[in-house]
Amino acid sequence: MRMSRAQRVTATTGSGSGSPDAKSFTVHPSEALDATEATSLGSVITVGHIGRPDRQGRRPVEVVVDGWRFELLVEDEARADLRERASRDRTALGTAGGPLEIRAIIPGRVVSIAVAPGDAVEAGQTLLAVEAMKMQNELVAPRAGTVTRVPAAVGSTVELGDVLVVVE
Amino acid sequence: MTAPPRPGADPASLRKDSDRPFTRLLIANRGEIALRIMRTCRDLGVETVAVYSDADTEAMHVQAADATVRIGPASAGESYLRADVIIDAALQTGADAIHPGYGFLSERAAFTRAVIDAGLVFVGPTPDAIDALGDKSTARRTAQAVGVPVVPGTLEPIGLERPDDVAAIVAAAERIGFPLLVKASAGGGGRGMRRVSSPEGLPAALAAGSAEATAAFGDGAVYLEREVRPARHIEVQLLGDADGTIVALGERDCSIQRRHQKLVEESPAPGLTSDERAELHELAVRAARAAKSHNAATAEFLFDTDRRFWFLEVNARLQVEHGVTELVTDLDLVAEQLWIAAGSPLSQAVSAAAAAALAPTRHAIEVRLAAEDPSRAFAPSPGRVGVWQLPSGPGVRVDTAIRAGERVPPDYDPMIAKVMTVGPDRRTAIRRMRRALDEVAVTGIQTTLPFDRALVRDPAFDAGEITTDWVDEHWDGETRRDESMAVAARVAAAVSSQATTPSDDPSLRKDGPAASSWRAAGLSAATDRWPR
Repeated sequence: MRMSRAQRVTATTGSGSGSPDAKSFTVHPSEALDATEATSLGSVITVGHIGRPDRQGRRPVEVVVDGWRFELLVEDEARADLRERASRDRTALGTAGGPLEIRAIIPGRVVSIAVAPGDAVEAGQTLLAVEAMKMQNELVAPRAGTVTRVPAAVGSTVELGDVLVVVE
Repeated sequence: MTAPPRPGADPASLRKDSDRPFTRLLIANRGEIALRIMRTCRDLGVETVAVYSDADTEAMHVQAADATVRIGPASAGESYLRADVIIDAALQTGADAIHPGYGFLSERAAFTRAVIDAGLVFVGPTPDAIDALGDKSTARRTAQAVGVPVVPGTLEPIGLERPDDVAAIVAAAERIGFPLLVKASAGGGGRGMRRVSSPEGLPAALAAGSAEATAAFGDGAVYLEREVRPARHIEVQLLGDADGTIVALGERDCSIQRRHQKLVEESPAPGLTSDERAELHELAVRAARAAKSHNAATAEFLFDTDRRFWFLEVNARLQVEHGVTELVTDLDLVAEQLWIAAGSPLSQAVSAAAAAALAPTRHAIEVRLAAEDPSRAFAPSPGRVGVWQLPSGPGVRVDTAIRAGERVPPDYDPMIAKVMTVGPDRRTAIRRMRRALDEVAVTGIQTTLPFDRALVRDPAFDAGEITTDWVDEHWDGETRRDESMAVAARVAAAVSSQATTPSDDPSLRKDGPAASSWRAAGLSAATDRWPR
């Protein structure tokens, strides 16, 4: 398989903070074969679904490496540069202290909600519980703040990444 | 009830209706076990009835059945646990018997009674036996009464209604010694279980364990048991008929567990001497006979570092891992279950297999593939499966009810396939399992495949030395999903993404590229690098 242009690759799944695939990387055509060989996994690489490009023109790709599943977005390096330059001017607003969205880390059903808009929460305080496959998973506030929105409802089904609670 | 003659006994009987145990069997379950039971029914000429929830309308077990009945919404409590609806379905469809599979209603005496009261046959033990074995405290007392060593602990269930009960429990705990386990009397599967390392932690553990047991089983009674650790989990497959004949069909080592959920099972248990094996089988038969268990059952034991067996419980149903015993014994346990339920005595094949089980000449291993993420503490990962490629070839059996493109619903158990291998010895079975797991390819959802592949190559597994706490102590999933994997994924994504799109930038076109299945197929052929 040949590559003609450098590609910017961004992972969209990971194993939480500190995940090795949480950044964007550039893969150059000259590196492609070497990099594949350098992993020396001796294992199966399966490329799964390749979807339509998103609004920014990035193509979603699923890759399973030795059983581990990765979701990535790929776009031409040149295009990624252009897009970044355009957006750099718009990023004057800092995000520290801004609203924090707590999202579903597993798909499932919301079984209980412990907070309501206006509640003050401590870091580590339980916000709600999502159940999937006989397991209950409690989501806690990553930092102290005030609950501004609770889009989740008890009994509703949520997909991975759905916003459940917003804390400011 | 008169026992129908077994086929083979009289060649003429093969042409008669009575050469099958039942005419029509309803399977009160879903997924791979429902399909597995239906396969035996096909072999025996028994018609099948599937029941299904709204999450399973297009499931394989529904498509495989001769008749189907919708029983309710996705939630198990409103569908697969609805005894009344399921019995109605059996009556409506003219079924003469119900097989419960495992889980769901398989060990609920009230269901069994209702099945019998409706004039149907329940494929399993009597309701009284289910009651006696389902209550773990009763089972422990029954086993101890016939001289089977039980794990030291309390023999009476503990209610937590009165404060002075708690004082008595703390005193009992001091006698048993710490660390100990609080266990649900009514339950299994680790629910209601709490580990307590010191007296201070006991009241909280009792409260939490009892609350969890109430939620899971509707019964908050708990008991205490000494923690036997390190230990191996070894269980014995039993089969008994209505006349009270009961035999052991070999043991299974199920020590590879996580949070009391079995991940890998094998038969025979590695490293047992023939004396130990004979002792174990005898203890299991004795415990099950005392509890008046019949049909298929499994007696579970812990095997400690002093090479002593300690009775845990008897599960009066077909187990998930029954397939490894089938591979070693060459029996069809579901077929035997159906004949027993129809009133037949144990077959000659079963007796022969029981005799051979003391000196097994084959070895089988099962690996459970689950929709769980082994880099995130085995968190559930339901979703839609994309590529679904399973192994085949010599000595390989796969039980599954998933197909490519199918959704794994979040409502039920995360197990999606059982990969089994068999060979003349353990070494061959392990090599075949390594090869079989290398053939597996799944996209769309994260599975336990990376854990499974690593485990079957681990020296501790090779040595047959794994104890029940091995996974918690040795599996560090987060570091296994390492940078080299991420690099490979990025490169593969970059290469494949470009290879599937036209040379002009597709994102600049109005509609984006039309997905080409031809290109996708070629790509996947080019990037599937198998064999290694």
